[in-house]
Amino acid sequence: MSGWETVNEPLKSQPGSSSRRTVSRTVTLGRVQPQAPALRTIFCNDREANFAHRYKGNSISTTKYNIFTFLPKGLYEQFRRVANLYFLMVSILSATPYSPVHPVTNMVPLSLVLLFSLIKEAFEDWQRFQNDNAINNTLVDVLQAQGWKTLQWRKLQVGDIIRVKQDGFFPADILLLASTNADGVCYIETANLDGETNLKIRKALEKTWDYLTPEKACEFKGEVQCEQPNNSLYTFTGNLVINNQTLPLSPNQILLRVFSECLSSIVSNVVKGCSLKNTDFIVGAVIFTGHETKVMMNSMNVPSKRSTLERRLDKLILALFSTLFSMCLLGAMGSGIFIDRKYFYLGLRQNVEDQFNPSKRFLVIILTMLTLLTLYSTIIPISLYVSIETIKFIQSSQFINKDLNMYHAETNTPASARTSNLNEELGQVEYIFSDKTGTLTRNLMEFFKCSIGGEIYGTGMTEIEKGVTERKGIKVQEVQTSNDSVREKGFNFYDGRLLRGAWRNEPNHDACKEFFRCLAICHTVLPEGDESPAKIKYQAASPDEAALVLAAKNFGFFFYRRTPSMIYVRESHVERMGKTQDTSYEILNVLEFNSTRKRQSVVCRYPDGRLVLYCKGADTVIYERLGSGNDALNKATRDHLEQFGSAGLRTLCLAYRDLAPDLYESWNEKFIKAKSSLRDREKKLDEVAELIEKELILIGATAIEDKLQEGVPSCIQTLSRAGIKFWVLTGDKMETAINIAYACNLLNNEMKQFIISSETDAIREVEERGDQTEIAHFIKEDVRKQLKQSLDEASQYFCARSGPKLGLVIDGKCLTYALDSSLRIMLLTLGLNCASVVCCRVSPLQKAQVTSLVKKGAHKITLSIGDGANDVSMIQAAHIGIGISGLEGMQAVMASDFAIAQFRFLEDLLLVHGRWSYIRLCKVVMYFFYKNLAFTLTQFWFTFNTGFSGQRFYDDWFQSLYNVIFTALPVIIVGLFDKDISPPLSKKYPELYKEGIRNKFFKWRVVAVWAFFSIYQSLVFFYFISAFSSTSRDRSGKMFGLWDVSTMAFTCVVVTINLRLLMMCNSITRWHCISVGGSILVWFMFIFLYSGITTPLDRNENMYWVIYILMSTPSFYVTLLLVPVAALLVDFLYLCVQRWFFPYDYQIIQEMHKDDIHCTGPSGVVGSKQQLIADEERSNEISQLPREVSKHSGFAFDSPGYESFFASQSGKYVPPNAWDVARRASMRHKATPK
Amino acid sequence: MSSNTPSSSAGGVGSADSAAPRRNSKRPKYSKFTQQELPACKPILTPRWVISAFMLVSIVFIPIGVVSLFASRDVVEIVDRYETACVPANFRNDKVSFIQNETTNKICTRSLTVPKRMKQPIYVYYQLDNFYQNHRRYVKSRSDSQLKDNSSWDDVSSCKPEDDANGMPIVPCGLIAWSLFNDTYNFSLNNQQLAVNKRGISWKSDRDSKFGSDVFPRNFQNGTLIGGKRLDPNVSLSEQEDLIVWMRTAALPTFRKLYGKIERDLQPNEVIQVTLENNYNTYSFNGKKRLVLSTTSWLGGKNDFLGIAYLTVGGLCFFLALSFTVVYLVKPRRLGDPSYLSWNRNPGGH
Repeated sequence: MSGWETVNEPLKSQPGSSSRRTVSRTVTLGRVQPQAPALRTIFCNDREANFAHRYKGNSISTTKYNIFTFLPKGLYEQFRRVANLYFLMVSILSATPYSPVHPVTNMVPLSLVLLFSLIKEAFEDWQRFQNDNAINNTLVDVLQAQGWKTLQWRKLQVGDIIRVKQDGFFPADILLLASTNADGVCYIETANLDGETNLKIRKALEKTWDYLTPEKACEFKGEVQCEQPNNSLYTFTGNLVINNQTLPLSPNQILLRVFSECLSSIVSNVVKGCSLKNTDFIVGAVIFTGHETKVMMNSMNVPSKRSTLERRLDKLILALFSTLFSMCLLGAMGSGIFIDRKYFYLGLRQNVEDQFNPSKRFLVIILTMLTLLTLYSTIIPISLYVSIETIKFIQSSQFINKDLNMYHAETNTPASARTSNLNEELGQVEYIFSDKTGTLTRNLMEFFKCSIGGEIYGTGMTEIEKGVTERKGIKVQEVQTSNDSVREKGFNFYDGRLLRGAWRNEPNHDACKEFFRCLAICHTVLPEGDESPAKIKYQAASPDEAALVLAAKNFGFFFYRRTPSMIYVRESHVERMGKTQDTSYEILNVLEFNSTRKRQSVVCRYPDGRLVLYCKGADTVIYERLGSGNDALNKATRDHLEQFGSAGLRTLCLAYRDLAPDLYESWNEKFIKAKSSLRDREKKLDEVAELIEKELILIGATAIEDKLQEGVPSCIQTLSRAGIKFWVLTGDKMETAINIAYACNLLNNEMKQFIISSETDAIREVEERGDQTEIAHFIKEDVRKQLKQSLDEASQYFCARSGPKLGLVIDGKCLTYALDSSLRIMLLTLGLNCASVVCCRVSPLQKAQVTSLVKKGAHKITLSIGDGANDVSMIQAAHIGIGISGLEGMQAVMASDFAIAQFRFLEDLLLVHGRWSYIRLCKVVMYFFYKNLAFTLTQFWFTFNTGFSGQRFYDDWFQSLYNVIFTALPVIIVGLFDKDISPPLSKKYPELYKEGIRNKFFKWRVVAVWAFFSIYQSLVFFYFISAFSSTSRDRSGKMFGLWDVSTMAFTCVVVTINLRLLMMCNSITRWHCISVGGSILVWFMFIFLYSGITTPLDRNENMYWVIYILMSTPSFYVTLLLVPVAALLVDFLYLCVQRWFFPYDYQIIQEMHKDDIHCTGPSGVVGSKQQLIADEERSNEISQLPREVSKHSGFAFDSPGYESFFASQSGKYVPPNAWDVARRASMRHKATPK
Repeated sequence: MSSNTPSSSAGGVGSADSAAPRRNSKRPKYSKFTQQELPACKPILTPRWVISAFMLVSIVFIPIGVVSLFASRDVVEIVDRYETACVPANFRNDKVSFIQNETTNKICTRSLTVPKRMKQPIYVYYQLDNFYQNHRRYVKSRSDSQLKDNSSWDDVSSCKPEDDANGMPIVPCGLIAWSLFNDTYNFSLNNQQLAVNKRGISWKSDRDSKFGSDVFPRNFQNGTLIGGKRLDPNVSLSEQEDLIVWMRTAALPTFRKLYGKIERDLQPNEVIQVTLENNYNTYSFNGKKRLVLSTTSWLGGKNDFLGIAYLTVGGLCFFLALSFTVVYLVKPRRLGDPSYLSWNRNPGGH
């Protein structure tokens, strides 16, 4: 036995794992070692040896409960809710003699509510269990008895040798032993872990390469000594002992298990990724299993968020509690005063219990308080929370998740509400914080247009251009992309003049040739895979670069191989049409891109010895370095650049320079010297580069479309009409960010823009000096100055109604200081008054800081939307987090509250689902408030007529079933189906959303109105019915007793309260009618039964035959008609007056469209479009007058990931940093701001 | 961009349709429920609706009100308050001692004039004021099982403090039975005895199901204090209709209870002599006592409330319908006028 003791010590910091804490287990002979080394030893391929260590199995469980813990744990969860606890208290209280009601009164609703909640919990847990099961039963090949045997994941054990095939998922954390690829390399996709879409390389140790076949693998007897399970995804320390040789292991040999959330979707075939790629199969040894895998230990406990409405609801409940308290106090005081021996029939002479003892009046008050507390407990709507939860659950699981308008067919992703807590919060969002890459844009760079030799090529139209022309009223014709045009991902270009060699016929074909060569040669892209145009894959540090090389390929300059010194290009049509030749260019120097230089150059030698420097870069830097002459071309190209820029395209200028050999040689010496210098190498290299990158000749410019997600600009415009303000938080550079902001309509030239940038000369000067404290101090002062100046300027527009909209652009470095407590207020004031804010070069942490600044500082509802791991903090910081699902990683989705496939679905999510949820829930809450108050107040009025004794007015069962049976269902139906206007209309009039932002339907004013109705109605109920009871009610002359009167009153209450619901509905489906009618019917059926039977159970005989007596009198019917009408008259009048004189916006729109045919399905959506009324049309036109074409050009070049890419290619391990953007943001760059 | 928006969403659905048949598609299935397209009627309170609703209510309510009022007016009711008049003048300052004194003469004579012809049956009620029959301590002080069934005659747990007397359970127990009203009325017309029928004054369901025919009063009013009427121990509870009526507790502190029926017509201006025995103590709590003779209509006793309420609601609705019509004619709001929209009224305002 090995000398290692094993202690499985889960990390205490992992809340999720605490329930599965493994018992510390030491395998020693009779002696417990206090401190065992934190190492585990794994015997590969030896189950017996590992058995002693009792490693955890590979099955996972994410369920909250099991059969035994379900009841206690579930109940505990339920009683953490104040309302439930209160009702438990009241139930206990009602078992005491002080209670006027039978315990059943409070017990029944409580237990029904609890039962319902528990069933729901159980159902959800059952689903989790099923998911776990599906995962645990996935199959994998395991080495057993010299062959691969297919086993379920859960049967996997530590030390097993397994085989994972291409596109397969790793069932546990495994050590890579061998791969079918040469050099023991395998490729994995880790999109689910870090959101990075590029493939990662893992390489097995050379010693283990051979263990590929089962026969060989059987012989493998290694011993892995490694760290204990932990949650660090990017580290691994351990050794492999094989044949008495100790080999160090690195993370490069470890393949991680996938997230289980991800897995569940894999099981249902949603997510591709998280898997082995480009490798037939690999063989590996299992080292961590099940809950001990790094990913499982890392699985986050997403903090559950409560919606703002619910928090306001708490206040309402609190108000109800205080009402309850004062009612009780009032009643109790009354009883203290009332109680007197003079009422001889009460038998108060001797042996009087404390509650009625006239000589202990103070005690009477106290005890009557308790009595009344149980009597009036119905004022607290116990079923409210359960109803709201049910409504929200159905809303999210049936409406949001199944909305066809939010289903994205391309990625096969429906929307998914990961929590049902926040539905109505979606209806009140005022600030949206959006990530750029992958959210607004597709992170898909496509070569779109180019300008060569003063001529524009490319026929496409960007979204922005489409938007502009559409606003001008010109119908956009879909450009027919003819079927023979070349189209692939990254190349969205069509122009017959250039493709398939046609460029030879262009007047400037020489420029074209240079242009294409520049594209094919001047880059740092690596080709991968088969050397054929169809199959090759380009590995580029930035998608821009890949798009350019791809473009060259499509133009007939196919770059297919790279060696350290050569680039091989298969050129077509160069000599003559149709001829293909392979040409190799010797790469002499690469002057790399960095953000200071904003350009990249390559010096290459043609096969014929020609020496050329190709350069591509930002227009500003290239134009500075152009040689004289060619002004016409330069000017034309500059115009084109502006044109591209205003269309939202990212531009690059291409230039070249022929070098004389001697000039080059002398320069190269300097270059080599600089390259080998040890100090300030970067700076020296830059300086040397300056020497040769001059007198360039401009070839042309490329325009790459950083493709916006579909429908983003229009979505943003709609949402901003809805009063939502956008903050774009991106790690990108300022220019790129501004570009996209323009593209998305977030910024335009009509706006008053404030730019706060750290890219000023003054700051740069200070930075040169390098004194950190001085830099910090200076920048802070500068930021303060800039902020103050902007604020002063902006404040004149704050109050002006028709002033220009404001926009703010700020970069990450300034933000660091602006978020300082002294400047925060200024930033907030400025930011809140801007229609859109763009923060560039921000780190993930800053994203979260900005989000919580607005969340806490402005007390407005915030929403964050993002797709990558760098957005997680922001998503969790905001009120609502939305993850873009379907394309990139799962981390953002897993941290989010809602996941949608496309940014544009926000429109549906907010304007339709959010708005409806909000309106519906407000109605539900108000209705609950109203119905319970009205009901309880009748009791209260009765109390005054009973000598404040706390006698109940209603029978126990009436009171207990009132909330859970007689009035429960209709309100849920309203919460589900109430529909003020149709979805197309709510998207057509996004301004309606402002009602939610201003919280129009959940104000104290609204509460007061409802309270007024409750009071009025309860008075009608009580006093009308009292008047009714004063004389006999039919020919027989007999009088009614208490229970007849109360049954009469209760019938009126049930009918009225249910009818009131119909009055507040905007649309009445047959479910409304069924539920309302059903509730009333159920009441009658109940009372027919209840008063018709006598049971031996402990119940009062009072109710016997009551309803039949009542129904035998004609006045019953006369009263039943009178009371509801009289009670609802005032409500109806209020509704009429409100609608007539103070209509809500949605009511006007209802009226405008009341004659619309309510078509179902998408045809109705289109149909309503044509029905613009003339007035409207005019106002729409005014609001959408074409805007001035923006005067800025785009600039694309941002590829700082280059180094890490090459490093990983050469086998060095560079941590796959999820926070790459952070690094970019912190990188120093010196660009002149525009 | 409103023109753009619907088409884009429509496009999304359209493209989804084409992809639908794919296997493993996560495309949600279409249903009217999940797409929230359930057929619904959308009532809008347009002026026409408002006015017609109010009109409808007034048209329905005013006639009912008139009919009810007439029904109520048909009823002839004679009310005589006697609690003070029936106390001899020398006891007026200390009515309680008068009533509690066993020896005083409680007989009192009243004469009632019939205002209008009263058709039989004429119901005789007593009405008490300020008597909290609905007090919690009072209401629960009874034993339903004991009243119903002889076998549980000793089930008096809920009857405190009138559960037993001299160590024996009381039947019927409890405060309600103990405080049974015990004034008696004898009517005579022209020196002729008017028979008062005391049968059938209680609800049949009470007689049949709540009060057992094999349950007889035991040990009743044998305590130190006498609360009210004594019961004949040889008559079963189901036949003690006064008790049954009394034990159907009233809802409010002012209540009437049926005493009996006079089964003959009374002509106008006839004078009825009432010889009443003023036994019941309402003096200690200043309760009033009234004797009521009343006929009934199809709607019950004399109670204008229903009629007046109907007329008021109907009239109010008529008035509202009129005023809304006037408003509609004088200063109409054009339905669905976009200029009313808040963002059109003050563009850019918050």
